[in-house]
Amino acid sequence: MIDFTHRQSAHCESGVAANLLTYNGIHISEAMAFGIGGGLFFGYLPFIRINHLPLVTYRAAAGKILQQIAAVPGITMVRKTFRDQARAMDELDRALTASIPVGLQTGVFWLPYFPRALRFHFNAHNLVVYGKEGNDYLISDPVFPEPVRCPAKDLQRARFASGALAPKGKMYYLSRVPTELDRPSLIVQGIRFVCKMMLGSPFPLIGVKGITFLAGRLEKWPRRLGSEKADLHLGHVVRMQEEIGTGGGGFRFMYGAFLQECADEMQDDFLRDCAATLTLAGDAWRQFAVMAARICKNRADPKDTYPVMAGTIRQCASLEKHVFENLQTWVNEQS
Amino acid sequence: MEQPHEKDVTEGLATVSYSVNSDGAYTLVSGSGWHPVNVVNAQAWREIEKEISAAEDKIRSGRASCLQYYMTANQMDIGLTAKYTGQARWRVRLHLVPFFFSRLTPDAIRKYAELFQVTPEDLKNGRLKPPVYERRKDQQPHHD
Repeated sequence: MIDFTHRQSAHCESGVAANLLTYNGIHISEAMAFGIGGGLFFGYLPFIRINHLPLVTYRAAAGKILQQIAAVPGITMVRKTFRDQARAMDELDRALTASIPVGLQTGVFWLPYFPRALRFHFNAHNLVVYGKEGNDYLISDPVFPEPVRCPAKDLQRARFASGALAPKGKMYYLSRVPTELDRPSLIVQGIRFVCKMMLGSPFPLIGVKGITFLAGRLEKWPRRLGSEKADLHLGHVVRMQEEIGTGGGGFRFMYGAFLQECADEMQDDFLRDCAATLTLAGDAWRQFAVMAARICKNRADPKDTYPVMAGTIRQCASLEKHVFENLQTWVNEQS
Repeated sequence: MEQPHEKDVTEGLATVSYSVNSDGAYTLVSGSGWHPVNVVNAQAWREIEKEISAAEDKIRSGRASCLQYYMTANQMDIGLTAKYTGQARWRVRLHLVPFFFSRLTPDAIRKYAELFQVTPEDLKNGRLKPPVYERRKDQQPHHD
């Protein structure tokens, strides 16, 4: 059996990336993988609906982090998708026989070891398979404290879940890694990418502009949708922000952890200050979530109103704008 | 966790998240379910339960086939059900009507039965079994 070290993480994709790299001898934390992979983002995309509610995302599109990691010089990642389900399972078994831990993209709805209430039709969950015993696969699922088991039949179903972001049996593993990563340049590259996303997008729904846009929309929800529907929309925003994998505060804390690690790595206290400001932004997001939860539970204080929440979100926007403008300047100084 | 219906949706799964310690340094800490998450998750589930009971009403009054229940309970819409069963959307839409559902071929029934992990007899007799994610390993049907 493969001696795979399971490390619990806050987010599945960065967790899988970090665990696979660490297995291959490159010791890297989850936050570092998240940052190098350019995982932070914001987008409010009301024309994409999830259960009839607008898509709000606090992180880069699913698969982005792994894609960025695969593009790191010296790393070769083998990635495959399948049409034939039996072939997909055979290929997985073959890799395991060759003692290669394999990353899979799966749909959570079909994974029996998931808590019942989290089994939504979400198809971009990542996990690592590191062994097979009888009919069960041994799985290191990064959001679980311990390794888990999953019957072959269920795993097959999960690998071929349908719907948005269908995994199509996607599997991936590292076939070649460098002896050491050129961390400073990867860090700069990762931060540059996120700055570009958060500040440089021409679309008003993306990045800091998107946060401000959300604030404007949210303010009008009670009038436009009626109070019941407004509460549902509000709950949805908080759910996206605080669901497993965000590390709370919509990934802002995880990125803060990354910036702190960078500060140590590059001996640069400026990054530590940026991390501190981003922590404030994360705290403001949480403050918004607490108020939203009171409203969703019909236990609102008189001062819990949609305009007040919109104000908190605008505060997040201005804090994040500040952080990423500073980081942008820092990035430009590096080259 | 003041009210029973607001139980921790992760069923005690201890997730980890980043938070700042007293020195201002980030650490990974373990803890299951921060309060606002549970509130909004409970809200989402209440909404799903409402839809399920609406579907049950429709079936009882003969305005929909039991397929309506199974789709709602498993959170699948017509598009997703069509994809999983490999047929056109309009067919699924048709099968929501009891008249057409009762005339389905065994083959078509089997596809739905496999998807919702029930027996073809359950579907034919309109038995409403719990959704896939409520199923425990022993597969015992429970009655509400």
